[in-house]
Amino acid sequence: MAFLEIDGLKKRFGAVEILKGIDLDLEKGGFLVLVGPSGCGKSTLLNTIAGLETITEGEIRVDGRTINDLHPSKRDIAMVFQSYALYPNMTVAGNIAFGMEMRGVPADERQKAIDKVAKVLQIGHLLKRKPSQLSGGQRQRVAMGRALVRDPKLFLFDEPLSNLDAKLRVDMRIEIKRLHATTGTTIVYVTHDQIEAMTLATKIAVMRDGEVQQFGTPAEIYNNPVNLFVADFMGSPAMNLIPATIGSNGSGFSVVMEREARQPISLPLANAPAGLSAFQGKPIIFGVRPEALTDPEGAERNASNIARADCHIEVIEPAGSDTFAVTNLGGKAVVARLRADANIQPGTVTPLAFNLTKAVFFDPATERRIV
Amino acid sequence: MSAVATPARQNTGGIRARTVNRIVIYGLLALFALFYLMPLFVMLVTSFKTMDEIQNGNMLALPQAPTFAPWIRAWSEVCSGLTCVGMKGYFWNSIKMVVPAVVISTLLGALNGYVLTKWRFRGATLVFGLMLFACFIPFQSVLLPMATILGSFGRFGVKLQNATGLTFGFGNPTVNLVFVHVVYGIGFTTLFFRNYYEAFPNELVKAAQIDGASFFQIFRRIMLPNSLPIIVVTVIYQFTNIWNDFLFASAYAGSGDVMPMTVALNNVVNTSTGVVEYNVNMAAAMIAALPTLLVYVLAGRYFVRGLMAGAVKG
Repeated sequence: MAFLEIDGLKKRFGAVEILKGIDLDLEKGGFLVLVGPSGCGKSTLLNTIAGLETITEGEIRVDGRTINDLHPSKRDIAMVFQSYALYPNMTVAGNIAFGMEMRGVPADERQKAIDKVAKVLQIGHLLKRKPSQLSGGQRQRVAMGRALVRDPKLFLFDEPLSNLDAKLRVDMRIEIKRLHATTGTTIVYVTHDQIEAMTLATKIAVMRDGEVQQFGTPAEIYNNPVNLFVADFMGSPAMNLIPATIGSNGSGFSVVMEREARQPISLPLANAPAGLSAFQGKPIIFGVRPEALTDPEGAERNASNIARADCHIEVIEPAGSDTFAVTNLGGKAVVARLRADANIQPGTVTPLAFNLTKAVFFDPATERRIV
Repeated sequence: MSAVATPARQNTGGIRARTVNRIVIYGLLALFALFYLMPLFVMLVTSFKTMDEIQNGNMLALPQAPTFAPWIRAWSEVCSGLTCVGMKGYFWNSIKMVVPAVVISTLLGALNGYVLTKWRFRGATLVFGLMLFACFIPFQSVLLPMATILGSFGRFGVKLQNATGLTFGFGNPTVNLVFVHVVYGIGFTTLFFRNYYEAFPNELVKAAQIDGASFFQIFRRIMLPNSLPIIVVTVIYQFTNIWNDFLFASAYAGSGDVMPMTVALNNVVNTSTGVVEYNVNMAAAMIAALPTLLVYVLAGRYFVRGLMAGAVKG
């Protein structure tokens, strides 16, 4: 039995269905990230777990206990808000202790708990300050301290890093991960940033329009996306999704991509998925991540199925650690990720290596993966 | 500063034009301020003069031998109608009426604003619209219906007295005025607090809910301590309005020793017997005006912005 279980959860506002039947589960000590574009229902889902929103149908269980109708304070959860939501009239210590005060914890016990949390988060010197006297990162720490001090069964994070600048965001991301590793708490975390999702999660739920599109480990989501939406949403730069057709070359299949003013590229597929046979001569979407499309010297040595093709390079984007080259296939701009020192010039024709073991195929009509 | 960048001739021309503009603007402002302050000045100087000086001297002249006698007389001796005990009793009448009325209407307004923004219920917007409507009801139109209601309060008070020996304030003119001003003020105070709490971060309320705070604990510990600017605005507004009210006061507490300051002042000034003591009248009027001034000066200092800084980002 999983630690957090959500069964058939539905949420309606009047006639509008915001959550359309969510099923998720998370093991104890797991880190579940709800990710999706804005308006996908991820924050609403978090609020229903917190008890800040009621649910229309379904069940939420934490550690075997159904918490559907419990008041937020009775659910044994703690939440970190996007805006931190620190009480501006109280000191940092007052903020951290407010929940304990409401529960009637004696003052000396409260002080002990505050000191312990302040030590973990290194905010001891800030305890007497008001939130307005803190920097963004410090407020973030205090907000986490307020959650930590409860020692709850479940931590809820609602886009906690989106108000921080880029550098601090990376620091705090690492800090949250370290905190999770050292305290072994169970966390549900909402973000629209797929990098946060990939780096933090033990499980990711990709959401769109109130539905879970895919639920799995970060590796599963990244390498085996179930549909076009997940493939497109996860990964930066995004996966190349190229309109193509499936051709046959006697022994096996090949993927054929149109090019402007040139011969189409045809790549032989050594281990095509079985489902592809139904698409012979028909259009499909060919998905290949930028790192699986590279210069031949940089290609993975032990990949079993690498196909080369000459491509016309339109734009070069040196990013320091890598160089991105943009070519055009099937009428779309396609990004290849090359070594930083790759000798390549815009406007030239260069052979690129397609790592076809990492390639995926989608049905353009249903947008589902072809397996 | 700009002398470096622009040619000298053009620069002096610019300065001259600006100086003329300044002179015109400040001259006009000074003129209006003078015009506006003139009555206050006349009142003040007159209240420190003797009657002889007033009758023989210039109205605008400073007192030649300043005396506090008119103030003392206004405070403790002047006649309002037939009773000659000064304004002090009526002053306290007004305080006893204004303080509870301001406190109760402000608290109710805060509570209404809190419910209307943070605990939205079906029809909340309609309720707010109706409460807003209360701001546009003219005083005169409620005089008679309110008199009927206060009359029934009085009868109920008599019944209570017969049954228990106490009226519990029913039928007491001061309590009646507090009731009238609270009812009439709720529309305004609700409007102030609703608009302030509309911009109050919802996440603070959610965080407090998760922390286990109850409806009233959130109100008392989170909402009210972060409402100082709007509390100050509401208190200044309500205090000034209720203290200065004459219509309700004269209609429901217009005679005897329960009169508020405004009614008593009217009786003092409108007396038809003997010599009109301008200096005492002026002093009495100044005494009547002082509390609102004081509230503004004291509370205005706390009217600071940015108290919410630090609650959310930025």
